[in-house]
Amino acid sequence: MSQLKKCIVWDLDNTLWDGVYLEGDVTVRPGARQAVEELDRRGILHSIASRGEEKPALDVLRTTGLLDFFLVPRINWEPKPKNILAISAELRLALDSMIFIDDDLFELEQVAYMLPEVMTIEADLAPQLVDHRCLLPDRVTEEARHRRHFYIAEEQRRQAERTYPNREAFLKSCSMNLRLRPMAARDSPRVLELISRTHQLNTVGRVFAQDELLEILSGTGGRWFVTVAELTDRFGSYGTVGTAIVERTDSSWKLYLLAVTCRVLGRGVERAILATLLQEASRNGISHAEALYRDTGKNRTMLALYQMMGFRKCDALHEDGTAVFSLTLDRAPAKPNWIVMS
Amino acid sequence: MWKMNTADVKQEIEETLWNYIRDNYLPRNAEAKLGGNENLFDNGILDSAGLIAFVVYLEKKFGMSIPDEDLLPENFSSLESITSYILRKKGSASM
Repeated sequence: MSQLKKCIVWDLDNTLWDGVYLEGDVTVRPGARQAVEELDRRGILHSIASRGEEKPALDVLRTTGLLDFFLVPRINWEPKPKNILAISAELRLALDSMIFIDDDLFELEQVAYMLPEVMTIEADLAPQLVDHRCLLPDRVTEEARHRRHFYIAEEQRRQAERTYPNREAFLKSCSMNLRLRPMAARDSPRVLELISRTHQLNTVGRVFAQDELLEILSGTGGRWFVTVAELTDRFGSYGTVGTAIVERTDSSWKLYLLAVTCRVLGRGVERAILATLLQEASRNGISHAEALYRDTGKNRTMLALYQMMGFRKCDALHEDGTAVFSLTLDRAPAKPNWIVMS
Repeated sequence: MWKMNTADVKQEIEETLWNYIRDNYLPRNAEAKLGGNENLFDNGILDSAGLIAFVVYLEKKFGMSIPDEDLLPENFSSLESITSYILRKKGSASM
């Protein structure tokens, strides 16, 4: 299966438009515009890595109505691999989720050589992007439609952070409000999306077949319980940011899967979700919690989360490499104090 | 080769940790202060992803490997606990 791509990095001259903007008028290529607009609707992000002066390029983008589609454009004289790395860092997207499109074969080859994880595509193929299977999500959720705006709000958060004396004061000023609730039928596309799209903050405790998952999600799973987490702050709503799949018995809760979007990295959201679940278990008289984790090479973050929250690895390792972590709930772990639960 | 005494090594580790936290998590022009025993998770500086990035940096910087089973609150909650952890690891490696 080809992995779904999340971001396209565009060159400008003779890629996004015909002509050279520093030398005269340019015309946006209709196929490129169509691709930008359609992929944006699917929740695929766009950025720019182009050589040249920034201001005149931004002016062209503004007058052609395209500027708002592009996040963190890098228009300068730096090598493109360096700019692509910067975009990857700013948007917190892995290189293997990015596509680079350019008309210059040297640039394409250079990126392929320096950043082999990035997929490279020739400019003339731009109109076909919309049909590329790694840009066709199974479903387009509400979150996907607003993905670009989530990233714009994130940039505003980063600007705001610079004005606070310390990080805790900044986090408190954000007025983060997290709500955990049982999953409803309408949440299933987003839950499936979180499970399949999330790599870093995903425990992948167990690979659920889609049918099995749908059965659990439809509420016929009996002892299964699926939670979704919604987050808002003063900059706006993040939508549904996380999900947890729990198997409940009389004596223990077993957390099969915890997935949190990496859009909310760095503010303690995954800890708040886990702490809240454990507090709820504790309130239900449960004294023992277990959590499953499978190392995918990308999700060591979740192992750190479990262990820093007091979980310890049990000896028993499942056949498929899944590790079981356990925690005695004599005192439920605390959530970060800057996140308010509602 | 010179043998650095423990106090020098400790100071070097402390400076490395502090520089990393300051450069990555503290506002540029503020008079940022951070106590050695402040909990880095409770004050919002680190979270699970931040910890992993920090661990990868420390492994490279100090040429050591930090195994998964060491990612525990007693080793990584504060600048002080991380300093003693690295000292312990370096000590046991040189023996």
